[in-house]
Amino acid sequence: MGSSPQTQEKNAVWRFFSSVKLTLFLLILVAVASIVGTVIPQREGMLEFARRLSPGMLEVFSTLQLFDVYHSIWFRVLISGLTLNLVICSLDRLPGILRRFKAAPRPDRRKPFDDVHPEQVFSVAMPVEQAADRVEALLRQRYARPAREDMQGVSYLYGERGRYSLFGVYIVHLSVLFILMGSIIGSLFGFEAFVNIPEQERVDTVRLRKTGEPHNLPFQVECVDFMVEFYDNGTPKEYQSRIRFLHDGHVEEAILRVNHPATFEGIRFYQSSYGTIPGNEVKLSLLHSGIPGEKISIQAKQGKPMDLPGGEGRFVVEDIREDFMRMGLGPAVRISVRPAQGDEVPFWVFLHPERVRERFSQSLDQFPKLNPSAFPPYTFQLVNVSGRYYTGLQVNRDPGVPLVWTGFIMIVIGLFITFFMSHRRVRIRVEPAGNQARLTVAGSANKNPVGLQRELDSLTSRLREHLEAQESPS
Amino acid sequence: MINSMVLSYITFVYFIAFMGYLLMMVMGREIFGRVATVVTLCGLLGHSFAIGLRWIESYRLGIGHAPMSNLYESLIFFAWTIILLYLLIEWRTRNRSIGAFATPLAFLAMAYASYSPNVIERIQPLVPALKSNWLIAHVITCFFGYAAFGLAFGLSLMYLLKRRREGGKESLFVRLIPGRSLLDELTYQMILIGFLLLTLGIITGSVWAHSAWGSYWSWDPKETWSLITWLVYAAVLHSRLIRGWRGKRIAILAMIGFGCVLFTYFGVNYLAGLHSYAKA
Repeated sequence: MGSSPQTQEKNAVWRFFSSVKLTLFLLILVAVASIVGTVIPQREGMLEFARRLSPGMLEVFSTLQLFDVYHSIWFRVLISGLTLNLVICSLDRLPGILRRFKAAPRPDRRKPFDDVHPEQVFSVAMPVEQAADRVEALLRQRYARPAREDMQGVSYLYGERGRYSLFGVYIVHLSVLFILMGSIIGSLFGFEAFVNIPEQERVDTVRLRKTGEPHNLPFQVECVDFMVEFYDNGTPKEYQSRIRFLHDGHVEEAILRVNHPATFEGIRFYQSSYGTIPGNEVKLSLLHSGIPGEKISIQAKQGKPMDLPGGEGRFVVEDIREDFMRMGLGPAVRISVRPAQGDEVPFWVFLHPERVRERFSQSLDQFPKLNPSAFPPYTFQLVNVSGRYYTGLQVNRDPGVPLVWTGFIMIVIGLFITFFMSHRRVRIRVEPAGNQARLTVAGSANKNPVGLQRELDSLTSRLREHLEAQESPS
Repeated sequence: MINSMVLSYITFVYFIAFMGYLLMMVMGREIFGRVATVVTLCGLLGHSFAIGLRWIESYRLGIGHAPMSNLYESLIFFAWTIILLYLLIEWRTRNRSIGAFATPLAFLAMAYASYSPNVIERIQPLVPALKSNWLIAHVITCFFGYAAFGLAFGLSLMYLLKRRREGGKESLFVRLIPGRSLLDELTYQMILIGFLLLTLGIITGSVWAHSAWGSYWSWDPKETWSLITWLVYAAVLHSRLIRGWRGKRIAILAMIGFGCVLFTYFGVNYLAGLHSYAKA
């Protein structure tokens, strides 16, 4: 790297952070650290893995924050180091770039013409002066900052292109800073939460993902209704909820679908999941063992005692479960019969008793608590449970997003400029050769030598055509 | 379904093209190369036709979507991008020897898609999260990026072969490989294209994740591995542009980079099982 007098004066820290070797080292280190984070189970996934470790290893792993690599202190130190490296490298090279950017066009240099390709030299039958005028006109059309200098009967011409591309890499580096800044702002001033809202209910708190703590919203959210459509194979095709935001009498409605979030007062709501919760009404059938074939239908409300048809007492639906004990046995209700005399008889009644029988591979009579005929002469049957949907919403606020998006746009523009545009300078010398004018086309570029050569070839042939068409007859 | 039948035939078309390029390299007869180019071009046309057919068939099934939504469709599309990009390079450089290193990549991707029992060929309905226009932008940018990195890998392999044999006894095969400086330049060009497209792929994925799940980055293994790949290629670019690395070092780095690409594409599926937070 070019060491100007100033570099010597710069202190050791600056020199350390302006090294590209450090950049390469840090890039690889961040990559390796990221690999570690994908191999060791992180956060919620760690529990099972941690159980298999010895206490000593567990201690080491948790001290090194290996269960949350991407939020660990050392990972943040690495990222900060890389950021500092990026900023200092960019600043360190800025004076050189600015010098190159500001450099006045100097057409009269000899050196570029020293070893040009023979195909870039040709002669035309016209005076030097005239040929130089024509070349100048063409350069003016196609290049920026054209310049010309005439010395001792020889004309030197200059044109350039893509001077601003020198800053492409600065756009890229700045965009990385924007993205990092956006993510920091997001994690400091934003939140990620979720909430389940049953149909026709309202909430004003959500639960934070990180800590599980409740977080108050400045307004209320109501789920008006929820809809789900299925494909023939049973997987969900589309689901959506109608949401109402209520704030001080101001009401706004929105439809939420997956991939189509809605924003209210800076907080975004995403359709994320759904489920059903049992309602508070069930339909029961009552069979009487003494009267075969008789079946009485009863609509029962949870917690509301009802008379048994024969006046033996009362019964009440005490509990309604969507999935009994979460064992995949399906909906169940707990019924408690309160006879006129004697003790209460509580038992569960299932919507799918065959599943229960299969699971326990015995008759239900063995378990009084699971026996729907526990209070003779009656047998209870569960016909259906009225269910309601709830909608599962992701609730986020991220004020860093606009910065991140700006960074995204900038990085694409910056990379395009850096990769595919270059600062090209072309120089043309027109000198007398006998009674002809001899032209030499040379050029230089800060990158992409192949592209430069292509440009010089096309410029040479264009000049040739242009000048030969106007050759003075000799 | 007709489309997957056509696609399984295309696998063999690419194999024949590969053999053609190989014969040209071994026998030194240009005619084999010319035939291989024609075969590859026919393969690409049939391939495009089959993808279009699959698209139409999905609409006929009432679950219409662009054929880019599962492993099978992505492999098919990956092979398509490799062939398209390769033919462009052949046309630009007027050199066919690269074909012997590019067509096998496409052939392998197609064969894996068509003949592996683990890859489901059926057209599957889209889950709601995949129903987004970002899907198409994301898949196209990612896979053209992967294809460019794949070609950089092939070119690097050629470079290393050429380098090992150059000076000493050169077999006909090695003599037909273009000069090292051209290979070096082409590898670099492919990495540039790949890097820009990978960046776009990560960005489109990120914007999409933000609209589907509310978070533009959540460190899931696939995301993380795409970042790792990005970092590796960023290191390659810095080492070349600033430190002036050329030739062998860049070739080796380009091969490591493609290893990361493959892991991002396939390997992550094995990791995901460890992560309960990985999205299915």
